[in-house]
This record gives sequence, structure tokens and C-alpha cells, in this order.
Amino acid sequence: MRMTELLRLVFMNLAQNKFKVILTSVGIVVGSATIMLVLAIGTGGKVEVAEQFKNLNAGAIDISYEVNAMEFERGMGGNRGGMSGSVGLPGGGMPSAGGMPAGDFSGGGMPDFNGGGVPGFSGDERMNQEKIVLSEDDMEDLTVFVPNISDATISYTTSSDIEGGELEEASSYSIAGVKSNYMTISNMSMAIGEFLSEENDENKEKYCVLGITAAKEIFGSVYDAYEEVIYIDSRPYVVSGVLEEMGTVASGISPDTTVFIPYSTGIKYITGDDVSPTITVIADDVDLVEQIIVDIETVLSDSYANAEFTISDAGSKMEAASKSNETLQLLLVAMAVIVFIVGGIGIMNVLFVSVKERTNEIGILKALGCSKKDILLEFLLEACFTSMLGAVLGVMVSLGITPVVESFSVRVELSVQGAVLSVVFGVITGSVFGFYPAYKASTLIPVVALNQE
Amino acid sequence: MSLIEIKHVNKGYKLGEETVPVLKDINFTVEKGEFVAILGPSGSGKTTLMNIIGCMDVLDSGEYFLNGRAIHEMRESELTQVRNKEIGFIFQNYQLIPTYNVMQNIIMPLLMRGMIHKEAVAQCQDIVKLLGIDHRLGHRPNELSGGQKQRVSIARALASKPSILLADEPTGALDTTSGQEVLKLFCELNEMGNTIVMITHDMNVAKSAKRIVKIIDGELLAEQ
Ligand SMILES: Nc1ncnc2c1ncn2[C@@H]1O[C@H](COP(=O)(O)OP(=O)(O)OP(=O)(O)O)[C@@H](O)[C@H]1O
Ligand SMILES: [Mg+2]
Repeated sequence: MRMTELLRLVFMNLAQNKFKVILTSVGIVVGSATIMLVLAIGTGGKVEVAEQFKNLNAGAIDISYEVNAMEFERGMGGNRGGMSGSVGLPGGGMPSAGGMPAGDFSGGGMPDFNGGGVPGFSGDERMNQEKIVLSEDDMEDLTVFVPNISDATISYTTSSDIEGGELEEASSYSIAGVKSNYMTISNMSMAIGEFLSEENDENKEKYCVLGITAAKEIFGSVYDAYEEVIYIDSRPYVVSGVLEEMGTVASGISPDTTVFIPYSTGIKYITGDDVSPTITVIADDVDLVEQIIVDIETVLSDSYANAEFTISDAGSKMEAASKSNETLQLLLVAMAVIVFIVGGIGIMNVLFVSVKERTNEIGILKALGCSKKDILLEFLLEACFTSMLGAVLGVMVSLGITPVVESFSVRVELSVQGAVLSVVFGVITGSVFGFYPAYKASTLIPVVALNQE
Repeated sequence: MSLIEIKHVNKGYKLGEETVPVLKDINFTVEKGEFVAILGPSGSGKTTLMNIIGCMDVLDSGEYFLNGRAIHEMRESELTQVRNKEIGFIFQNYQLIPTYNVMQNIIMPLLMRGMIHKEAVAQCQDIVKLLGIDHRLGHRPNELSGGQKQRVSIARALASKPSILLADEPTGALDTTSGQEVLKLFCELNEMGNTIVMITHDMNVAKSAKRIVKIIDGELLAEQ
């Protein structure tokens, strides 16, 4: 039969069986909408992880000294040791509050993960008797003696009361003491003004840089904050600049709500010796990270025999996060497959019934001398158009549902590929399940097909 | 050479383990231009025989030649071709496709040959006039009377200009008047040169034919 005539028949049948076409489509609509949403949610998760880590340098390695459990008990007795932590890099620096197990990393609902903490030296009694504070000298040592390092910085976080601007009463902010190279190492950029300079640090000057949220909270706007004065522990600091918005980061530390001050200034006026700084070094090449970690241990063991440092590299954190995201996606895909199999069975039932009803028609076609090929083509095209309709409707339904899903604060990233894929899936499922019963009917000899009720 | 030559044909249906014989050693010939009636009581195997003549069913044993071609040796794809080109089948219960209109139903065998819609419609103009259904072409089968449906199914059988017209109880579902009209039409078609084989259980209907063959319990009786 000619293709044009075949298509004419197909459209005649579809127009005559509108109700059945709709019934069949419903299954496909559900299936395609699910595929589309599952893909969109999966992609959303991926984008979220990527965003969390976008400021994280893959070659970054954080080194910190963790107060161990025995010391923790002691440390909690009044001093602020338990409170102060390290800021590291956004997303990378862990809130290493006193008693937290080394390397414990939890963010965004992802499974806990050991962030590459390398237990270097077996601890002995002596270790508990001295408090180790990483210093700028240690950082110098590392830059000099560890090869393949492009940059290094040292930082710490604490928290302190801030007054000034539009604040009606003092409120607590997290304070980060950082070096002037911190901004470039953490891929941050300024919304206005300048980041802290080397002179600020050397001269222990009271300057600060505000995260964008902090600036807005304290002064109302970025422009109002610039070159104003805030009071940290009642000492005035000039705001030399405000950072661009960075977004939230995995470990819950956001540069947006942090106040950055020069490293030495913070030690002098706020923390005293009571800090646990983190040294961050940047590897020239991500592939060298493992060797560099070994070298760091060797260099540090010269200064601190028997001390145990926590060394974590950003690369393995990212790897773990994206791995757990992949698991999530796999789960979603598995769900989609199940939906499609279940949906497919439903579709198959509807098509099976409708083709069964049309077995008589197939019998007539055969009796009149219609070739098997033409019969199959006709039914295949019908199933194809029906499922295409369903699949396209499904994509539209998923577009309609998206705002609902998003209102549960699930990230949905719709994509053209996702839409195409779900249409293709829908058409294939519909065609296969629609084709099979027609195929069965077309192999019957005419008498049998005609006599089937 | 006869148009139809059936030699020692047997056909049975399986009922569990056993095979119930329906057609027993049938020998039957039809010459070009004949109008034959196969007369027999219900259950005697008329439809079974007709389906075999119409290449819609397979025989268990024996030989069947149509226009000299060995039908019993053909594969289903070849039989499809034969059905389309050689045979015009008129079913007892019309067997029209309910979603197609009258014209679409009639031209189906032509479309299956690769003809385009326009050509096929043009070729069927004379036939629909002859059958008096030219004012019903846009209707669907469920909008027609039994007699009209039978005319449509006859028109469809004629459309492909087959070697032979096979009619299974063509008057079975019709009242006497429309039955008579259909029989009159068959006589006219036969006079125009069409070969016709018709099944009936009614002697009065069979009388319209030029030759009557009786079948009882799957066996053809010697012709009088
Ligand atoms: N598909 C089938 N399976 C089993 N037995 C069948 C089948 N078709 C027909 N038969 C049997 O074959 C015999 C002949 O049937 P057939 O339909 O040829 O009779 P018929 O002469 O056309 O009768 P009627 O005048 O009632 O239409 C019957 O006994 C019937 O029960
Ligand atoms: Mg019968």
C-alpha cells in the first residue's frame, strides 16, 4: 500500500477512536511526565552539588590540628578552644569545632564521609600534654619544603559580637582571620572596594571585608557598608570592601555571612593564642595531591614529632559528594524505569484490548489481501502517533507540575534533552506495546482472525 | 483448464486429542463463467469449503488449483496476493470495517494493490451505480440497512475485478425482497461474465444458480 494511503487510514482510525486514543495516551502521559521530572530532579541535584563546589579549588589541601577527645573534655572547661575553628576555603574548610571527629564531613543531606583525613602518627601520651597551634612559620616551611605547591594561606574562624551600622544591638557573627591571598585562593571576588591587603595584616590594622549578607544585615545595602565602621568586640574596623554573593556551601559555612579581618589583627585583638588555624595549600596539579599530602606530613613531623594532623583535600570531597549524587540519580532512574514498566503494562493492557477488539478488522484486511507488512505498519503508526501525543502531553504535564515540586524546595532543572528523552521513551514504550498485539493478530490466518470474538 | 479444481480435499478441526473431519474427500470443479450454488444444511461444512476456495483457510490434505496455480503449496504471503487479485469474497455478515465510510470500504482492495485514492474511487464509479449505493458513499456501515451493507460488500468484492466471486449465504441476513434483489444482481453479474460460487441452505435461493451442488456431512453428492 502507498504510504500516503496508509497515513490516511491511520488518521481516519485515530479520528474515529478518539476516546481510545486518549485512554491509551494517559498511560504514556504519566510515564513521560515521570521520566521528565526524574531527569530534571536528578540534574537539579547535580547542579546543586556543582554549585556547592564551584568556589572550591580541586587542588586545595587543608591542614589543621584537631584537639583530641581527651583534650576536648578539658578544653570545654571554659576556654574558647572548642569554639574556634578553621575557615579553610568556602566549602572546603570544615567547621572543625573542638570535639568533632577528624574529617567528618556532612553537608546537604549527603552521607557522612571521611574527607581524606590522614592519621599520620600514632598518638602517645605526650601529644595530649601540649597544644599545637599551626602558625605562619609552618606555612612558610610548607611552601619552602613541599614541592609542586602554587600557593598557601592560613586562616581561622571564630565568632564575635558586632555593633555598628543599622544594628540596634550587638549580634554575633562568624569572623574569619585571613591572609590577603585568601580571596584569590577561594575564587571570591569583590562587589565593591578592596580585599584586605598585606600591609593591613603586617601592621595589624583594623580593617574588615564583609560577606554580602552580613553587609546588608548590618548596613542595609552594599553601598552603605563601604568605608563605614563596624565594632568587633567594641573595637572599630573600617569596611574596606564587600564580597560578591557566593551562595551557600556544603559544610554550612557561607562567606556571605562572614566578616573577614586580617589574620594578625584577629590574633592580636580577638582570639589571642586560642586559635586552631587551618593552612591551605594549593597543588600545582590535582594529580599530585596524594604525593603532596605525604610531603606535608614529612615536613610537619620535623616540627611536631608525634602530632596528628588532619589533612583533607578538596578533590576527594568533591568526588564523594558527586558520587553520592550519582547514587541518588541512579535511584531516580531506577524509579523511572519501574514507573515505565508499570505504566508500560497498563499501556499494553489498553492496547491489547483495543487490538483484540480490532482483530476482526485485521481479519478483514487479511481476507481482502492486505500484506502483513502493511497491517503492521498501520498499527505501528497508530501506536506511534498515539504515544507521541501522550508523550508530548506528558512533557507539558511535567512542566505544569514543576512549580509544585519546586515548592517543596526540590531543585528541578528542566532540559530539552530530558524532554526529548522522555518523548522518545514514551513513543518507544507505546509503539512496542502497541505493536506486539497487532503483530500477533497479523500472523493469524484470515479465518481465525475473523472468527475471534 | 478449469478455473477451480479441487481434488480429494480433506479438512478437520481438532477437538482435544481427536480430529473431527468436516470435509471428506471433496472433488469439485468450477469452469469460467459458471454460476454455482452449494446447497446444504447447517453444519454440513459449506463455510469451511468456501473458506478453502477463498484461500482463507488451509486444507489438511488434497490439492487445490486456481487458474492452474497450486494453492495448496503456497505460503501465506502468496495467498495474500491471490486473495487480493483473484478472489472477491462476500461474507455472510458483510465484514465491513466500521470506522471507514462506504467508499473507503469499497476501494480497500485497490489501495492494497498500491493504487492511489483518486484512481481507486474513479474505478469504482460504475460499480456503485450498478449497485445503487452511489448516494450512500459517505455513510459509515452502522448507518446502513442490511441490504445496503450487503451491496457494499458485493461492491467491494467486485471492485478488484476478481476471477471469481464467492458469496457465503448472501441472502441469509436479508428479508425476501432484498434477498431477491441480490440474487437478481448475481444473475446480471453472471451474464456480464463473472464466475460466481454461492453458498446457501435454501433450495429457493439455490435455484437462481445455473448449477447446484449438494453437500451433506462434509461430502459432496453427485450432481443431478
Ligand atoms: N473453528 C472451528 N473449530 C471447530 N469446529 C469447527 C470450526 N468451524 C466449524 N467447525 C465445525 O465444522 C462443521 C462445519 O461448519 P461450517 O461452518 O462449515 O458449517 P456450515 O455448513 O457453514 O453451517 P451453517 O449453514 O450453519 O453456516 C460444524 O460441525 C462446526 O461445528
Ligand atoms: Mg456457514
